Amino acid sequence: MSGLLNWILWTPVVGILAILCIPSKNKNAIRYAALATTAVTFVFTLLLYINFDTSVAGMQPDFLVKVPWIGDFNIFYSLGVDGISMPMTILTGLLFFLCILSSWTVDKSVKAYFALLLMLESTVFGVFFALDFFLFYVYWEVMLLPMFFLIGIWGGENREYAAVKFFLYTFFGSIIMLIGIIALYYSVDGVDAFNILAHQGGKYIGKTVSIFGTEWAFNKIFFWAMFLGFAIKVPVFPFHTWLPHAHVQAPTAVSVILAGVLLKMGTYGFLRIAFPIFPQAAVDYSTIIAVLGVISVLYGAFCAMAQNDVKKLVAYSSVSHMGFVMMGMAAMTTQGMNGAVLQMFNHGTSTAMMFLMIGVIYERSHHRWIVRPDGTKGYGGLAKHMPTYTVIFIIGMFASLGLPGLSGFISEALIFLGIYERFTTITVIAVMGLLIGAAYLLWMYKRMFFGEPSEEVLSYSDMNIREIAYMLPLCAAVIIFGIYPSPILDIMRASVGKLVELMAQFQ
Amino acid sequence: MTTNLLANLSFYIPEMIVIVTMMSLLFMETAYANNERRRTFVYVTGVIGMLLCLFSLFKNLGVEAQGIFANAVVVDSFSTMMKITMVIGTLGTFYISHKSIDIYDELKSEYLIMAVGVLIGGMLLASSNNMLTLYLGVETLSILSYVMTSLKRRDNLSSEAAIKYALYGGVTAGIMLFGMSHLYGMFGSIQFGPIIEGIKGLESFNVAAVISLLLFFVGIGYKIACFPFHMWSPDVYQGSPVPVTAFFSIVPKIAGIAVVARVTYSFFGTETVNTHIWNSLIALIAALTMTVGNLSALNQKSVKRMLAFSSIGHVGLILMGVLTFGNNGMSAILFYTLIYTFMTLVAFFVTTMVVNRTGSDDAVYFRGLMKTHPILGMSFLIALFSLAGLPPFGGFVAKFNIISSAVGNGLYTLSIVAAINSVISLVYYLKLARSMVFDTADSEETIESYSLASRVYVIGMVIPIIFLGLFWNNIYHLYSSAKLYLN
Repeated sequence: MSGLLNWILWTPVVGILAILCIPSKNKNAIRYAALATTAVTFVFTLLLYINFDTSVAGMQPDFLVKVPWIGDFNIFYSLGVDGISMPMTILTGLLFFLCILSSWTVDKSVKAYFALLLMLESTVFGVFFALDFFLFYVYWEVMLLPMFFLIGIWGGENREYAAVKFFLYTFFGSIIMLIGIIALYYSVDGVDAFNILAHQGGKYIGKTVSIFGTEWAFNKIFFWAMFLGFAIKVPVFPFHTWLPHAHVQAPTAVSVILAGVLLKMGTYGFLRIAFPIFPQAAVDYSTIIAVLGVISVLYGAFCAMAQNDVKKLVAYSSVSHMGFVMMGMAAMTTQGMNGAVLQMFNHGTSTAMMFLMIGVIYERSHHRWIVRPDGTKGYGGLAKHMPTYTVIFIIGMFASLGLPGLSGFISEALIFLGIYERFTTITVIAVMGLLIGAAYLLWMYKRMFFGEPSEEVLSYSDMNIREIAYMLPLCAAVIIFGIYPSPILDIMRASVGKLVELMAQFQ
Repeated sequence: MTTNLLANLSFYIPEMIVIVTMMSLLFMETAYANNERRRTFVYVTGVIGMLLCLFSLFKNLGVEAQGIFANAVVVDSFSTMMKITMVIGTLGTFYISHKSIDIYDELKSEYLIMAVGVLIGGMLLASSNNMLTLYLGVETLSILSYVMTSLKRRDNLSSEAAIKYALYGGVTAGIMLFGMSHLYGMFGSIQFGPIIEGIKGLESFNVAAVISLLLFFVGIGYKIACFPFHMWSPDVYQGSPVPVTAFFSIVPKIAGIAVVARVTYSFFGTETVNTHIWNSLIALIAALTMTVGNLSALNQKSVKRMLAFSSIGHVGLILMGVLTFGNNGMSAILFYTLIYTFMTLVAFFVTTMVVNRTGSDDAVYFRGLMKTHPILGMSFLIALFSLAGLPPFGGFVAKFNIISSAVGNGLYTLSIVAAINSVISLVYYLKLARSMVFDTADSEETIESYSLASRVYVIGMVIPIIFLGLFWNNIYHLYSSAKLYLN
C-alpha cells in the first residue's frame, strides 16, 4: 500500500503514453483508454480512502514517499496525504472520471484533448500530495500548461483571451510565491530546507528582511507573498477577474475541473502552507481574510444575479461559494475549519453538477443565454419538455443553494457556527449572501424552466443514458453527504484539529 | 621562459584546435570552388574541429586553475565551462546556417570561417587576465561580427545593420580603451592582479577608479547588450541573417558575461570601499536591462526582433547572477547560459524554417505552425515556455537558480523585479505561442528544406531543455565545483 500515492500520481501519465500510441483516427479507442485510466485512478483513490487511518493527525505514515531528487539543493520527491488532502483526492479522482464521460462528444483533436486532461489530472494530484516546496511549485506551474491549451483550443468564441488571462494571472501569483518559497529555503539549513512540514509551526516570528531598503517582518511579508499566489487561484475578491472569462470560455469538462478542483488548490494552499508556516501573520490578518471572504460572497452573488449567461452565472456563484471557504478558514475554530474543508468538497460536487448540466443543455442549444443580449428569451419551459433534466438540475441547484438535507447546507452551517463568535458582524452580512444566493438561483430556475417552451426548446432531446450515468454519482454524493457527512468529516477531523490547535497558540 | 611558454601551450590546445580549424576552412574555401559536394567537406571539417575542441575542453576541466603565458590568460574550470557552452552554441548554428536561405550558397563556408573566428575571440575573452588580451578578444570578436552581420549582401537591412554595429562597436571600443588607459595610469599595470591589489588598497571612495572602470565596462556592456548599451542589438538582430542572429545571441553574449563575471568577482569579490557602489551599479543595470528588454519586446512583430529584446531581458537576469557570483551565482550563470544556448538554438532554428518558407520572420507567418509542422511547433512551444521560465523545462531551473542565489544574498528587491519581468516576458511568449497553436495557418505549404535531419536536430536540441529541467543534479553539481582563478 505504501506506493499508492505513486500509483495515483503516475497512472494518468501511463494513460497519456497509451493514448499517444493509439492512432488519432481511432477516436473511440482513445476515449475508452482515457476512461479506463481515470477509472483505475479513481479506484486507487478509493483504496487510499479505505486504508486511511482516521486517528492520525497529520501525514499518514503508511503512505509517505520520499526519494532524493536534486541532492545539491535538498530537493526531494516527497509525497504524503493527510485529512485535508484526502477529500480533495477523492474529489479529483471522481470528477476526472466523470469529466471523461462527459467529454465523449468532443470531436476536435480527440487525442490531444484526452492526453491534456490526463496530464491535468496528474498535476492536480501532484499539488495535493507534494510535501516538498519545489515539487509543489513544479506541479502548481505545470498545471497551467494543459489548462492553457484546453481552454485555448477547445473553448468558446473568446477562448484565446480567456486562456492568456488565466495563464498570466496565475503565473503572476505563483512567481511571487516562488520568492517566498526561496526565502523560506534559506531560512532552514540542511535536508529540510524545502520540506513543507518542517517549516510549519510559526518559526519565523521576529525575523526581519530588507526589501526596497525598508525592514519588514519576515512572516508578514512572505505571508502576503503566499497569500497572493493562493488568493488568485481561489479567487478572492480583487483577484477574481480571470475566473468568469476562463469559466465561460472553457469547454464543459474543463469548467468542471476548474471549479471543482483547481479553485480548491488555492484554499488548500492556505491550509497546507500559508497558515501553518506563518500562523502569527495569519491570525493577525484573519480579519482581512474574513472581510475579503465576505466581499467575495456578496460581490460574487450580486454579479451572478446580473448575468444572462447561465454559465457565467454559475461561475460567479463559485466566487461567492469560495468566499465562504475563506471565511471558514479565517475563523480558525474547529467548526470553521472543518466547515471550510467540507465546503471545499461539497462545492466541488455541487458546482460540478451545475457545470455538467449546463454542458448538457449547451450541446443541444449551442448557446447559454437565459435572456439573449437582444432581449429575446433564450431557454424557457425546460421543465415541461425535459423532466429528467429538470429533476437532476434541481438537485444540483438546491445543493449549491444550501438547502437543508443537501450537502451545501452542512458545510455552510458549520462555517457560520465557527465564525459567529469571532466575527459576528461579518457573519450577519454573510448570511445575506445566502439569501442573495437563493435569489439568483431561483430566479435563474424560474426563467429557464418555467413558462411555455419555445420552438427551439421543443427540439431538444432529454438526457441520454450516458449523461444520466455521469450525473448520478454526483447526485448521490450531494444527497448522501447532505444527510450523513461523517465519512468526509471523519477523515479530516484529526488533521484539521491539529491545524486549529496550532493556530490557537497564536491567538 | 621559453620552455615555460611551450609547456603552457598544452593548456591551450582547445584554442589551437579552433585556430587550426579556421585555417583549414580557409584553405578549403580557396581550394574548392562552389560545389555542393565539396561544401559538405567544409561542414564536416568544421564539425570535426568543433568536436575535437569540445573533447580537449573536457580534458581541460580537470586542470588546476592557473595563469598561463606570463599570466596573460587563465585556465580555470569556470572559463572552460563557459567555452564548452560557446562551442556547443557555435556547433548548433552550423546546422542552422546549412539550412538557412539567408546565407547564400556561395557564402556558406564563409559563415563557418567567421563563426569559428568569433569563437576564438570569445574564448580569448572568457579567459583573459589582462587588459590587452581582453581588448584583443573584444576586437577579434567584433570585427568578424561586423562582417557576419552583412553576410546577406543583397539585403539593405543587413548592410545597414552592419554599419550600425560597426559604428557602435568602434565608439564603445574607443571608450573602453580610454577607461583602460586610465586604469593603467592609476595602477601602473595592464595585468588584472596589480589592478585588483590597487583597488583593494584604495582607502576611500575613489571617483577616478569607479569612472574608469565604468568606461571599461561600456565596451563589455555593449557586447552583452545590457541597458543602456543595447540600442544596436534589435537592429542588428533583425538585419542579420537568422543563423548569424542565433550566433550573436549565444557566443558573444556568453563571452561578455564571462568577462563581466570575472572582472566583477575578482575586482570586487572581497569587500572593499568601492564594492558597494560597483555592485549597486550592476544591480541597477541588471534591473533596467531586464525591464527595458522585456517591455520593448512586448509589441514586436518581427520574431527576430522580439527574440533580440527577450535576450536583453535574459542578460539582465544573468547579471543578477554576476552580483552573487561567489555565492551560488557562478553555477547559476553557467547553468543559465547552457540552457539559454539550447533554447536560443531551437527558437532560431524554427525561425529559420519559417523564414525559408515565407521570406519573412513576421509573427503572422508563425500562425498555425503547430498544425502544419507539429514537431517544429511543439519544439518552439517548449523553447518559448522554457524561455518564460515554466517548469518542467530547463529555463525554469535556470531562472530558479538565479533568483534563489539572489534571495540567498538578500537581494529581494532585484528578485521581485525579476519575478515581475518573468510575467511581462510571458505576455509576449504567450502571444507567439497562442498564434502558433490556436490560429489556423494561412497556407498549408510545407517547408522544402525541412528534412528528416532537421527533425532530428530540433528534437536533439529540445531533449536537453526537458532533461535539464527534470534531472539537473549532476550538471549543477559539476557547475558548482567550478573554480575561478584569482590573482
